[in-house]
Amino acid sequence: MLTYVAKRLGQSIFVMIAVAFLAFALFRFAGDPVMQMTGVETSVQEREALREQLGLTDPFPLQFLRFVADLLRGDFGFSFRTRQPVGEMILDGLPATFELGLVALAVSLVVGIPAGVYTALHPRSVASQGLLLVTLIGISVPTFVTGILLIFVFGVQLGWFPTFGRGQTVQIGWWSSNLLTPSGLRSIVLPAISLGTYQMTLTMRLVRAQMMEVMRTDHVRFAIARGLPFRTVHLRHALPNTLIPVITVVGLQFGGMIAFSIVTESVFQWPGLGLLFLRSIRFVDIPVMSVYLVLIGLLFVLINLTVDLLYAAIDPRIRIRGSA
Amino acid sequence: MVRVRIEQVVFVAAAVTFALLATGTLFAAGTSEPEETTFRWATTSDPQTMDPHAVNAAPTTSFLNNIYEGLVRRNAGMEIEPSLATSWEPLSDTDGWRFTLRQGVTYHDGQAFTADDVLFSYGRAISDTSDVTSWFAPVSGVRVIDDYTIDFLTTAPNPLFPDSIANFMIMNREWSEANGAQQPAGEAENFATRNANGTGPFYLVSRNPGVETRLAPNPTWWDTVEHNLEVAIYTPIENQSTALSALLSGDIDMISPVPLQDVERVESQPGFQVLGGLETRVIMLGFGHEKDQLDYSEDLSGVNPFQDRRVRQAVYQAIDVATINQVTMRGRAEPASQLLPQGLSGFSEPNADRLPYDPEAARQLLSAAGYPDGFSFGLMCPNDRYLNDEQVCRAVTSMLSEVGLNAQLTTMPVRNYWGELREDNYDMYLLGWSPGTFDAEHPIRFLVTTPNAEARLGSWNYGGYSNARVDELLPRIQSELNQAQRQAMLDEVAAIVQEDVVYVPLYTQPLIWAMKDTIDLVQRPDNFFMLRWVTVN
Repeated sequence: MLTYVAKRLGQSIFVMIAVAFLAFALFRFAGDPVMQMTGVETSVQEREALREQLGLTDPFPLQFLRFVADLLRGDFGFSFRTRQPVGEMILDGLPATFELGLVALAVSLVVGIPAGVYTALHPRSVASQGLLLVTLIGISVPTFVTGILLIFVFGVQLGWFPTFGRGQTVQIGWWSSNLLTPSGLRSIVLPAISLGTYQMTLTMRLVRAQMMEVMRTDHVRFAIARGLPFRTVHLRHALPNTLIPVITVVGLQFGGMIAFSIVTESVFQWPGLGLLFLRSIRFVDIPVMSVYLVLIGLLFVLINLTVDLLYAAIDPRIRIRGSA
Repeated sequence: MVRVRIEQVVFVAAAVTFALLATGTLFAAGTSEPEETTFRWATTSDPQTMDPHAVNAAPTTSFLNNIYEGLVRRNAGMEIEPSLATSWEPLSDTDGWRFTLRQGVTYHDGQAFTADDVLFSYGRAISDTSDVTSWFAPVSGVRVIDDYTIDFLTTAPNPLFPDSIANFMIMNREWSEANGAQQPAGEAENFATRNANGTGPFYLVSRNPGVETRLAPNPTWWDTVEHNLEVAIYTPIENQSTALSALLSGDIDMISPVPLQDVERVESQPGFQVLGGLETRVIMLGFGHEKDQLDYSEDLSGVNPFQDRRVRQAVYQAIDVATINQVTMRGRAEPASQLLPQGLSGFSEPNADRLPYDPEAARQLLSAAGYPDGFSFGLMCPNDRYLNDEQVCRAVTSMLSEVGLNAQLTTMPVRNYWGELREDNYDMYLLGWSPGTFDAEHPIRFLVTTPNAEARLGSWNYGGYSNARVDELLPRIQSELNQAQRQAMLDEVAAIVQEDVVYVPLYTQPLIWAMKDTIDLVQRPDNFFMLRWVTVN
C-alpha cells in the first residue's frame, strides 16, 4: 500500500512540473503585463525599466527556473495587479471556492442519487420520463445561461436571493466562511444550484444506468427471490454496488467544479479562485496565473490519488492486488 | 461495513444540504440593511491600489479622488478650482507657479496639512516606483516658502501646469514615514497599498481588494458637504449582466458602465434611470506612416499606399460615421473632427468640420493615387477596450469594402493589442484617446509629435508620423502664456493634422451610467465618479 502511494506521489510531482512548464510557456501569448500596470502617460523608458525589473526580459528557461525555485522555497511572489503576496490572495479566495464546490456537490448528490434510483426502478413512469427530459436540458444548457436565468428569476423578479457576492462572512482563523450567516446562506443557494446542475444530471444518469444493470444481477434477483423487502434490496444490496463508478466520477468532477467554477464565479461575482484567475488573465497577472494553475494541477493530482485510495478501500480485489 | 458508511454519508449530506437550503430560504424574505443612508455602487474594475502615486489609471485615480485631494481639483464642468491650494499664480522671479495652501485642513488621522506634505508628496510622485512622474517632467524643483506657501519651478513657462496636476494627490509625511510607505510599492505592497490617510471628503473604512471597499464621510472635511451619505460601499462587478441584475434587483444603487444594448431595458423599468453623456474620449483610425510596405496585404507588396495622403483621405471619406453612430452607438456618440472632443480647451474651432462622407470622392482619390481597384490590408482592433469596439471595426470594414479597400480585420483583447501595435503588426489600427489634461496639447504631445523616448514625446504615435512644423510648435504651445497666440498655434497644428489626415477621427464615445431614480449625482465627462455629489432621496 505504501509503495503504491509513493509511486503515485512520484508521478504526481512529474505531472505538476509539466503543468507548470506548459502554463509558463503559454504566458508569452497572454499579453503584456507592463502596459496593464502603467498609465497611458508613462514614458517608454519607465515601461522598459519596469519590464527589466520584473524579469520579463530574461530568456524563457531562466524565468521558468526562477519560478520553480521560488515555488520550492514556498515563495509565491507578488501580484502584478495589486502587489499583494500571491499566496495570501489564493488563501483569500480558496474558502469561497471550496464552500461553493462543497455545497454544489451536496446539492448534486442529494438530488442526483435518489432521482437516479427512482428513474431506474420506475423507468416507465411519467415522473421518470419528465426527470430525464429535465436533466437532458440541464446537461446541454451552459452554466452561464443557467446562472443568468436563476439570477433573473430568483434574484431580480422574485427577489428571494441576492444577485451577486458571498454575503456576510465569518472569520475562523484564516478561513472565511459564509455558511454561518443568514446572508451568506442566501447568497450561496443560486450559485451552488448553477454550479451543481451539470454534476447532478450526470450523477442521476450514472446512478440510473448502474442501478438498472445491478438490478439484473444474480445476487439482487436472489435477494428478491428470498423475499427480502424491496426497500432493503434496493438500498442495501443494489445501491452500494452502483456507487463505485459514481464515486470516481464525482471525485473527478469535484476537482472540475473547483477548477472550473470560473464561469459560475464570474456570473455571480463570487469572490473565489475562479474570479481571481479571470481577473488575472485580463490583467496578465503572471505570478497569480502561474501559481493558480500549479495549484489546480496539485488539486487534480490529489483527487486522483484519493479516488485511487477509495477504490482500494471499497473494492477488496484492488486492495489485495495492491498489497501483493 | 462499507455499505453502511456510504449510506450514512449520503444521508448526512442530504440532511446538511436541506438544512442549508431551508435556512437560506427562511431568511430570504427577512434581513434588512441598517437605517443609515448607505450608497452602494459597482464598476467593472476594482482600483488596483489605494496608493495615489502608484498607478496612473482612471479606475484607481477616480476612486482615490474621494479619499485624497490635490492642490487643485476639477468641478462638475471639468474646470479647475481651488482645493488644498486656495490660489496660485505664476512666479515673478523665474518660471514656475506659487501655490498658497489652505489653512486648518487635517488628514483623516487628525494631523495638520502643511507645505511640507506637498514637498513630500512631490518627492514620492517622482520616485522610481511612481507611475505619475510624467506630470512633473517640466518641473525642475520645489521650494517651500513657509508652511502655507510652496513654489513649483519649471524649466520653461508652463501655463498649463496647475491644470495638469489635478490628480496629484497629497499624502501626509508623518503617516507615510511611520508606516514605511515613503515610496509607492515596488514589487511588494506596502502600507499605503491597502490603507489611506487623505484630506478628502471620505475616509477609508475597510478594504477587501476585489470584493468590497467601504468609505464613510470625513467629519472634519474643510469644504461644504453636498452629499447626504453615511456609508458608501463599492463592489467591483466584472460581468456586466450581473451588474445590471444587481441594479435591477435593488442590491446595488448605481452601476457604470451600462452596455448600450441594455439601456432601453433599464429605462423601461420604473424606479431606474440612465445618465448618458459624452466621455472625453475620441475614437480614431491610425496608419503606419513609417512602414514602407503593408504586412497583411494579399495583393500588394513592397509598398504602403497609406503613406499617400490621398489614400488616407479616401479612407476618411469612405466611412459613414453617422451610420456607425446609429448602428453601433445607438446615436449616443458624436462625430469627431479632431483628436479631442469639441468644447475642450484648445479645440480648434476653424477646423471643427469633418470631411463629408462621400464614397465617390473616395474612389476618385484612390484612382488618383494609382489604386483604382483598391487593395487589401490588415486592420487591427481591440475587442474589449472601447465601447463596442469590435462592432465599430466590422462596420468600418464593410464601409471600406464599398470603395474597394479590402480590410482583413483582426480583433484581440487589449492585453495583447498594445504589444502588436508596438511591434508594428498592423496596416491600420483603432485607437481611442482621452486627453489627461483636457487640453489640445495632450493629444499632440502623445499622438502627433515625432516619437522620442528621451524627450518623452510621441509615446503613442505608433505609426511614427513626423512633421517638423508640429515638432517645432509643440514646445512653444507648452510655454505660451498668451491665450490667443497659443490658440493660433493649436489651430495650425489641428489644420496640419486634418490636412495630412494623420488620423481619421471617428466619434466621441458616449458614457452611460445607470442608477435608481432616488439617486442624484453628477456625471463628469472624464468618467470620474465623485461621492461628494451623490444624494440619496
